[in-house]
Amino acid sequence: MEPASLLEEIRFGYGPRRDAPQAAGGVDVDRVLAQLTARDPQGAAWDQPRLAQRLSLIAAATTQKKTTGAVEAATGIALKQLVANDADTFLGRPTFAAAGFVERLVNLWSNRITVSNIGGKVTRFVVSFRDDAIRPHIAGRYADMVQAALWHPAMQSYLTQINSFGPQSEAGLRRNKGLNENLAREFLELHTMRDGYSQEDVTQLAWLLAGMMWDDKGMRVDPRRVQPGRKRVLGVVYDDSDPVGQINRMVQTIALRPETARNVAFTLARHFVADVPPEGLVDDLAATYLAQDSALTPLYRVLLSHPAARSPDRTKLRNPQEYAAASLRLTGLSPADAAWPKLARRFPLALTAMGQAPFKALRPDGWPEVAKGWMTPPMLAARVDWAIDISAQTTGQIDPAAMVDTALGPHASALLKQSASRAEQRWEGLVVLIASPEFSRR
Amino acid sequence: MPHDFLLSRRSFLIGCSVAASPLLTPVTFAAAKGDNRLVVVVLRGAMDGLDVARPVGDRNFAALRPNLAAGEVLDLDGFFALNPSASALMPLWDAGEMAFAHAVATPYRQGRSHFVGQDLLESGADERDGTMTNQRDGWLNRALSVIPGADARSAVSVGQQRLLILEGEQDTQHYFPVSESPLSLQGQTLLATVNAADPLFAEPFAQSRQLALDTMGMAAPKAKGGHAQLGSYVADQLSGASRIASLSFGGWDTHHSQTREMADQFTAFGELVFAMKAGLGRHWGSTLVLAMTEFGRTARENGTGGTDHGTGGLMIALGGALRGKRVMTDWPGLGSGDLLAERDLMPTRDVRAFAGWALRDMFGVEASTIGQVVFPGLDLGADPRLLL
Repeated sequence: MEPASLLEEIRFGYGPRRDAPQAAGGVDVDRVLAQLTARDPQGAAWDQPRLAQRLSLIAAATTQKKTTGAVEAATGIALKQLVANDADTFLGRPTFAAAGFVERLVNLWSNRITVSNIGGKVTRFVVSFRDDAIRPHIAGRYADMVQAALWHPAMQSYLTQINSFGPQSEAGLRRNKGLNENLAREFLELHTMRDGYSQEDVTQLAWLLAGMMWDDKGMRVDPRRVQPGRKRVLGVVYDDSDPVGQINRMVQTIALRPETARNVAFTLARHFVADVPPEGLVDDLAATYLAQDSALTPLYRVLLSHPAARSPDRTKLRNPQEYAAASLRLTGLSPADAAWPKLARRFPLALTAMGQAPFKALRPDGWPEVAKGWMTPPMLAARVDWAIDISAQTTGQIDPAAMVDTALGPHASALLKQSASRAEQRWEGLVVLIASPEFSRR
Repeated sequence: MPHDFLLSRRSFLIGCSVAASPLLTPVTFAAAKGDNRLVVVVLRGAMDGLDVARPVGDRNFAALRPNLAAGEVLDLDGFFALNPSASALMPLWDAGEMAFAHAVATPYRQGRSHFVGQDLLESGADERDGTMTNQRDGWLNRALSVIPGADARSAVSVGQQRLLILEGEQDTQHYFPVSESPLSLQGQTLLATVNAADPLFAEPFAQSRQLALDTMGMAAPKAKGGHAQLGSYVADQLSGASRIASLSFGGWDTHHSQTREMADQFTAFGELVFAMKAGLGRHWGSTLVLAMTEFGRTARENGTGGTDHGTGGLMIALGGALRGKRVMTDWPGLGSGDLLAERDLMPTRDVRAFAGWALRDMFGVEASTIGQVVFPGLDLGADPRLLL
């Protein structure tokens, strides 16, 4: 993979790595887009078992428990290890991946279409959601991404779709069970349209989705839970003949509505360019989305070509994951360092204190995408604490002034260079850099 | 934040030694006038009011809740009964320190989205579709601008997450214990300098350093037993200069297994309330707690042992200042035709009215000002006479 430039690393990646080569110049559209199809062994090293493997491991545990009354030690350990390794990817993958733009996009779309492990209900699936539902589609069509997301077990569980019954379905009548509207509502409000739908659309969509389920054989529709009859969502009628096909037709229809285009365009522009993105850019992105059948790569091209995306002014704030990964990339700390295991154990709590508990967004609309969401005094205090922890563990003859240059190059202010150089100790100079506003901006 | 405060913080961080700072005295923030204390709890996730204060006297109730309403209940007033899992709160009711406002809601009608509902509850806006005011600020923040003699710095929002309800033009405090810095004074000074140079960072950074000083030696609340710690912490702040606090209490989104989840919720809520009461001591008598939620839940239980997003909900009022032991409601009934859209408890009163009256009774804000500044468009309606 061709190395990225400093500005590309800062704005479209997780910041420059101290030990990696760097291209000259500003933002090169084709170079950034090439990351989408490039091989990235450093990133792939963090690949986790895919959904099918997870399902069969869980099925094995279930069978063992049923037949012998207990889960075999090896299976139990494998499950525990799976969850532990999953947790490590949140910070590890963006820290070590070469294709920073890819990792940023995976995190962006996983946040737009949020699955949160708050309450621990989707512990074994939250990383699979990112890698099986989101990652394969970041350079594909948004309609396909949102469809994969809708069907993923993590989403089904998180928004409690798995227990929704058509009230007049065979199983609904027999067991006196009914609808659960959660997924239907958030699909319209967050994953797609945001505006322009009614409560009636939500109810009708909940009827259409009733029966969606997953087990160790994968995702399907339970015909006994399908609400009989026609459903009308946003003026389009769906029948009960082929539930899976009808649900997918609904997704493909709603994903291509202008409201969805607007929502996707706004999400993308706000994430990369400005908390209040230029209207013209959002308009252009939305138009491209509709013209290109929701293909995302053409959107990225429009985004990367816009002056605001190429400007040296860094108006966006790194979220805690971006901030933490950028500081690890800068220092060059790695699992080979003696200090790493102790440091890594503190990662989840540190991120939580900064406001971003790994995989645990507080609400279905995900983590904040604007600076204000990360700027409270306790959260800023946690950033300083992080900077101290990382800097104190960075070994070698670090020169704070050189680190300022690596991190920010020509974008660093004279004040920051001077302040980092004036610290009493080298590591404190590094704290001044990492806990500076300039380092938090991208 | 007023400039003199900011400047003095900055000059402290840059120039003064710790011992010389006047800001290290415990009473750092100016107090609002008077002795009254208001705590607003945002119950996130949409609390099922029909399951908390159950209308067992309504002849249609049992049929709507065949499973959830089964079992013994604790009688409140002959018509309403308390969820048996909330028995720990019963002494507060008996002492006249707890009351409910039933069938209340924000104006939000055109959707049942948690985050829109919560935003609206906290912004206090008047839009049925949940549209926020342009400035996207919170009603407690606006209230600070009209409370006679109030200083925004007497208001504190507690917890790792900040609360929209206190966000806005008036700069308020956000507390969460943070640890002491191992940096040298020189390192701290340099860090303060680079942060002061960025308009976005200057103020929150200065406040974060103040926070480190204020909470030196305190442990951050742990998850387990955290609610009691949180309650004590709020009580400490209100025993000092603060007069208004707001905090977030989540976990009410009971789509399934509601009976069990409600029991857990009440345990934690009880810990919070009793820790606040104990910590406030004699100040509990001048304290009013209003616990409000974004909307209610469906009148009928769903197929998964829970309830889905609804409309009409419940406010819990607590405190020694409260004229309690009553359920304030214009009960709409639960029969066919009584429900909103044939599914939700029909709201008969705007929940914002209770907050409005509380602001008038506790801090002397004029009723007309409440309708213009704090809750634009709100009709306060009849005086519920919240206080003793």
